[in-house]
Amino acid sequence: MSLVCTDLIKEFGKPATRIIHGINLSINDGDFIAISGRSGSGKSTLLYLLSTLDQPTSGTLVIDDKDTSTFSVEALHNFRNTEVGFVFQFHYLLPELTALENVLLPARKTHQHEEKTEYAKSLFEEFEIPDKWHKFPSQLSGGEQQRVAIIRALIMQPKYLFADEPTGNLDSQNADNVMNLLKKINRERNTTLVLVTHESDYAAMARREVFLIDGRIDEIRES
Amino acid sequence: MLFLAIRHLMSRKRQTVLIFLGISLGTMMYTIISGMQLGMREFISERLLSNTSHIKISAREQKIDRAEMTERFYGPDEAVNWITPPSGIREEAHIMYPQGWFDRLRDDPEVLGYSPTMTMNVIISKGNTKHPATLSGIVPSMHNRVMNIEKYITNGRLSALSGGGNKAIVGEAMLEKIGLKVGDTILVSSGLSEPRPLKITGTLKLGVQQIDEIIMLAALRDVQAINKTPGRITEIAVNIVDMNKAQEVADSWELTSKDKVESWEEANANFMEIFVFQDILRWTVTFAILIVAGFGIYNVLSIMITQKKKEIAILRSIGYPPKYILELFLIQGVILGITGAIIGLLGGHMINLYLSTIKLGHSGVGNILMSYSPSIYISGFLLAFVSAVLASILPAHAASKLTPLDIIRSEV
Repeated sequence: MSLVCTDLIKEFGKPATRIIHGINLSINDGDFIAISGRSGSGKSTLLYLLSTLDQPTSGTLVIDDKDTSTFSVEALHNFRNTEVGFVFQFHYLLPELTALENVLLPARKTHQHEEKTEYAKSLFEEFEIPDKWHKFPSQLSGGEQQRVAIIRALIMQPKYLFADEPTGNLDSQNADNVMNLLKKINRERNTTLVLVTHESDYAAMARREVFLIDGRIDEIRES
Repeated sequence: MLFLAIRHLMSRKRQTVLIFLGISLGTMMYTIISGMQLGMREFISERLLSNTSHIKISAREQKIDRAEMTERFYGPDEAVNWITPPSGIREEAHIMYPQGWFDRLRDDPEVLGYSPTMTMNVIISKGNTKHPATLSGIVPSMHNRVMNIEKYITNGRLSALSGGGNKAIVGEAMLEKIGLKVGDTILVSSGLSEPRPLKITGTLKLGVQQIDEIIMLAALRDVQAINKTPGRITEIAVNIVDMNKAQEVADSWELTSKDKVESWEEANANFMEIFVFQDILRWTVTFAILIVAGFGIYNVLSIMITQKKKEIAILRSIGYPPKYILELFLIQGVILGITGAIIGLLGGHMINLYLSTIKLGHSGVGNILMSYSPSIYISGFLLAFVSAVLASILPAHAASKLTPLDIIRSEV
């Protein structure tokens, strides 16, 4: 098991409101998990906990046999930089940088941006936007922007890819394209993919669908 | 983060230019104001203060005291109501025991040199016209060890006055005003004696019109003769090893003497006060300008951070720690501070060069006096740089405290 969470609880505010109620979940290397549920069921919160963007109130998260609560702040940042890729509902591309410069941002932190440039361009070709790398985000369509965001998530060749409603801001055609890309990444690169979606069709594309109701796992469907 | 900081600045050209102009103008104003004030100060220091010895020993005026007169004439117990109270001075002020001072100064290891002087107001006659002047009697060899007057001699030599011989060196402006030339003889009178002829053997120019119109130098013994007071001196100029100890030494000498002993700081207290006032004015104006520029940086960076929240979120989520975010915005302040300061200093320097070519009429000063002291440029740079960095710290710190989730949640 590459990612195991045990009795994961997350509370917010004072007095505390519990959003995630003792979740137990195991995710294998190369797995494709969809977290679905209604709005407010805690899907995104669970994703942020699993991706180390947020810290649980209690419970443990073990990634590659290491308890993440023992990670130093620096180690946590390095882990997110090298082992994790994020795709959000909004692309969050920096408007003053070209598509290529946006893609190379994670690599820039460790001064690897020059050696990653060719790889980045090959990803632009693979994702069928070969002539867009020098464009600014404002010069790209919504679908192209989200593809660039996915390439940015993949630039460090992460082991885990976390996608939070990646199709939520796209039309159906572009949404299908993005989902196909994510599936392809999971299949061909063996990247562990954790997807949050409220679209049942996209959730059904995963190997396992974790259905949440009020912060609790209601059902895990295997396909 | 330098790469991203530059991109941020370039993407917001108008705001960047506005802040940049604020810092540049602030620094430029500082350079110009400082250049002018310090230029004038250097001039005053050079022309006036360098002609002041470290310590000046002068006679106290012996004023007639009403109580003392009453006691002397009527005894201590009498109540006297003077119809015309006694007043005025007993005699011209002069140092009572000059030889005592000479012995003391000669033996003091702290003393570099001393110069006895007799200064008096005189009337110069030429034809039917009369002109007031201030005649100083000196011993050239001794005076040269204390004062820097030799460099202001424009014609002749100070040593020509050695040994007397009824010669004088006069201010250039006086020569022009009276209509004389070197080699002419003038009649000099103290007002109490017959006029005595003095031959003009040289000229000097201190650069201050009012002084150059009345200054006259002659041998000490000639001046004593004009005043009919042989051996009398009114002042002793003293230079000591460490001029910064002048006040301390002057205070200690004054304790054991009836004469007035002043350090150069006391003697030029009015100039010192003007300098302090100038400094206060200069720094106040500069701080006011830079505070405005600083608030500009603070406001623009604060707005920028609000607009860049999404970018901060993505940077944090892909592993950029808070210190990188702090750096990102701090670097922008530093870039603006450094470039604004450099351009401001260059602009200020160019304007100062231009101002120094402007003539000031017949003041004797010539052109507007500007200072190009490195201290102006160093302090101007530091002022702009520090104010820019300080103004960036708060917004940059606020940006570094943002967590990716807070931003992402607020977007959804």
